[in-house]
Amino acid sequence: MAADPIIEEIEREIKTHKILIYGKGTKAAPMCGFTRETMQFFDKYGYPYELIDALPNPAKREALTKMTNWPTLPKVFINGKFYGDTDILDPMEKKGEIEPLLKEAFK
Amino acid sequence: MITTETLTKYIQQAMPDASVSVTDRTGTMDHFNIRVVSDAFKGKNLLDRHRLVYSALAEPMKDGRIHALEIKAETTDGV
Repeated sequence: MAADPIIEEIEREIKTHKILIYGKGTKAAPMCGFTRETMQFFDKYGYPYELIDALPNPAKREALTKMTNWPTLPKVFINGKFYGDTDILDPMEKKGEIEPLLKEAFK
Repeated sequence: MITTETLTKYIQQAMPDASVSVTDRTGTMDHFNIRVVSDAFKGKNLLDRHRLVYSALAEPMKDGRIHALEIKAETTDGV
């Protein structure tokens, strides 16, 4: 069976970007409050991140939901691993876990 | 749009012991903050706790009654 090109595309994107947000809209025009919040979360740390707009591509959005078993956008990947959204990242930040995670990702 | 009661009922169908507090973020009853306290979360990491809540609310999220959700998921001992 041939690999699903959508999955391959997602895997390539996750590998390429140390911090990757699948969200709604673009960096210049985020179309959802949660996407904007997630950008603001990473803005504080100063590491580069990519935002990929999942709205124009329903098949990709569906594939992402299946891959992560997570129904909503945004979806955050750090260093290839899925971290949900700011509901997950905020408590991690409080425990001081984000800085070392990012440092490790960008070393 | 969904009432607090209906939303709570969905959660308690999946987690009968859950106590649920709901905050309407926008005054439109479709953007919520919810805090769920249940021992069904015991031993589960945050991602899996949230997956549990999302799956309990799959129906109203799919049909659009819930548009956006911020979740806090805790056990009865506050972990």
